[in-house]
Amino acid sequence: MAAVEASSHAPTPLLKDELDIVIPTIRNLDFLEMWRPFFEPYHLIIVQDGDPSKTINVPDGFDYELYNRNDINRILGPKASCISFKDSACRCFGYMVSKKKYIFTIDDDCFVAKDPSGKLINALEQHIKNLLCPSTPHFFNTLYDPFREGADFVRGYPFSLREGAKTAVSHGLWLNIPDYDAPTQLVKPLERNTRYVDAVLTIPKGTLFPMCGMNLAFDRELIGPAMYFGLMGDGQPIGRYDDMWAGWCMKVICDHLGLGVKTGLPYIWHSKASNPFVNLRKEYKGIFWQEEIIPFFQSAVLPKDCTSVQNCYLELSKQVKEKLGKVDPYFDKLADAMVTWIEAWDELNPGGDSAKLPNGKA
Amino acid sequence: MATVEASSHTPTPLLKDELDIVIPTIRNLDFLEMWRPFFEPYHLIIVQDGDPSKTIKVPDGFDYELYNRNDINRILGPKASCISFKDSACRCFGYMVSKKKYIFTIDDDCFVAKDPSGKLINALEQHIKNLLSPSTPHFFNTLYDPFRDGADFVRGYPFTLREGVKTAVSHGLWLNIPDYDAPTQLVKPRERNTRYVDAVLTIPKGTLFPMCGMNLAFDRELIGPAMYFGLMGDGQPIGRYDDMWAGWCIKVICDHLGLGVKTGLPYIWHSKASNPFVNLRKEYKGIFWQEEIIPFFQSAVLPKDCTSVQKCYLELSNQVKEKLSQVDPYFDKLADAMVTWIEAWNELNPDGASAKLPNGNA
Repeated sequence: MAAVEASSHAPTPLLKDELDIVIPTIRNLDFLEMWRPFFEPYHLIIVQDGDPSKTINVPDGFDYELYNRNDINRILGPKASCISFKDSACRCFGYMVSKKKYIFTIDDDCFVAKDPSGKLINALEQHIKNLLCPSTPHFFNTLYDPFREGADFVRGYPFSLREGAKTAVSHGLWLNIPDYDAPTQLVKPLERNTRYVDAVLTIPKGTLFPMCGMNLAFDRELIGPAMYFGLMGDGQPIGRYDDMWAGWCMKVICDHLGLGVKTGLPYIWHSKASNPFVNLRKEYKGIFWQEEIIPFFQSAVLPKDCTSVQNCYLELSKQVKEKLGKVDPYFDKLADAMVTWIEAWDELNPGGDSAKLPNGKA
Repeated sequence: MATVEASSHTPTPLLKDELDIVIPTIRNLDFLEMWRPFFEPYHLIIVQDGDPSKTIKVPDGFDYELYNRNDINRILGPKASCISFKDSACRCFGYMVSKKKYIFTIDDDCFVAKDPSGKLINALEQHIKNLLSPSTPHFFNTLYDPFRDGADFVRGYPFTLREGVKTAVSHGLWLNIPDYDAPTQLVKPRERNTRYVDAVLTIPKGTLFPMCGMNLAFDRELIGPAMYFGLMGDGQPIGRYDDMWAGWCIKVICDHLGLGVKTGLPYIWHSKASNPFVNLRKEYKGIFWQEEIIPFFQSAVLPKDCTSVQKCYLELSNQVKEKLSQVDPYFDKLADAMVTWIEAWNELNPDGASAKLPNGNA
């Protein structure tokens, strides 16, 4: 393993006072029972979507704060318009109200998976490992993450790039029900992901990816303000593009600021296949819009004077309005919501601690 | 598995009349005994480095042609100057004289590996699978190669990019002795690669990687002329940068021409750790030069009118001469050798069969 401050021979730090677990839910949190051995030390932020009069039962022993729609409206006032309603995209409210350095977010139909040896996977521990060691976005390492035990940079990897970059995001994967779009679900309803790929790798600079919010961790101080999950659900023309939107914004900004994004381990066990017909309705416009959105993000350039995440994000929102507004008025609304999100973020996080860059500049 | 012409439920085609196996050697070819079940149907091209008066023993039953230094000089005349002497880089002579569509090249200290279930890995079959199915360089798929059995494109992957592009190169990996540079070998002499990562993935467009020649396959018609392994060994100031040099050149050209490069499976078992002190002598200048070479390749732009591999390669050689000669006169010589290589390639492959692009334009 390449030299890091925290040798993997030492146990991974718990970070229990530095990390919040954000869970959007509309039903119940029974799934937490299975996660108890791994999650119990941590503070949970539950974002209750749907009917606020319903009581969400949280299993005993967990330390948590819970927000329903009424709370969101109360806390944000008019700015609450940027938080989606009746869509798990509302989870990003949890990112905003957290006071911790790290966020781990997980869906309530995601359970503990087993590795090929049969051992239960502590997904949170792996995310922490991923976030605490550097990424390598500037050059591809053929043995994947060089900071993992038993691996290193290979011959031909430039030495000046071996310090790596700070890791902003750790994107985990899913065994069993894979994260497919509606057309794929309709065509292949039986397919299950049974392949355990024992790798963590950095998504190279300049490359976009589809970020799934089911099993995701990030450094709130490095990239939090860019993790807005967009306008989805009630009253909106699309759904199931919340995490995608955040992923494209986040990646452009990470590339600009020299931060890294990892994908791969850990795996969780995704138990519920969502209804493909419902999904198709939600995704329908997105299928067409995606074709314009992707080239937009692929060619997005942020000016040199955008040195904070917020500045980058506001600049992106301008470009969204300017270039995607013509695709559909939705993007005009979305661009405004992106600005509202930043205003709300700054209001709730006034110390500017989320705007800190690796070199300390705001 | 995403739709491909050759479903993986049907057996992988042998391609025994379309693929040559190129092996550089200085010792003997005993290692072929272990590979016999997998290699025997194929034609071998042995490139004998070192003393031409020595007889290389080829195990019975293999169909092969063998070239030593005298043969190379005889066939290429003055152009033989571009082929390295006393270095496995001479293997690229084998690429040039082949008449087949595909090349698989392997080192003589690479043996059959086992997968985690204990099954012997047919590396050549996996390379063929990789080459026969498309690559996805324009957008990262988080479930890796979507054309593998049991996988597909994930939600958020643009539909227009799901055809993928033709695969030009399949880069395999190594269990046991990893391909480390001299400094790393000196620091960690005991490290062994024991991690079997069950993935094939496309290296994204715009991203360079360290290409190792130990376990490599490519489509000669799509990218052959770019697979020049440079000037190494006797009379040259560096060694162990032959495959690296070829890898940086091919990646820039593949990115320009819209071709894909895959890495990951198959694994071979690398048995011999080369001497790190010898390696340090060979790599020494390269360690410093690499720092200039990488930015050169990262910023290399090929003009639109470079529509064939040869044209791209000649243009690259111009840029090498222009921008890297100031680093060391070696690059001046190397740029000339790149031109000589193309001249030799075209002479030995006169009907332009290797210059074919996917759309048929030369």
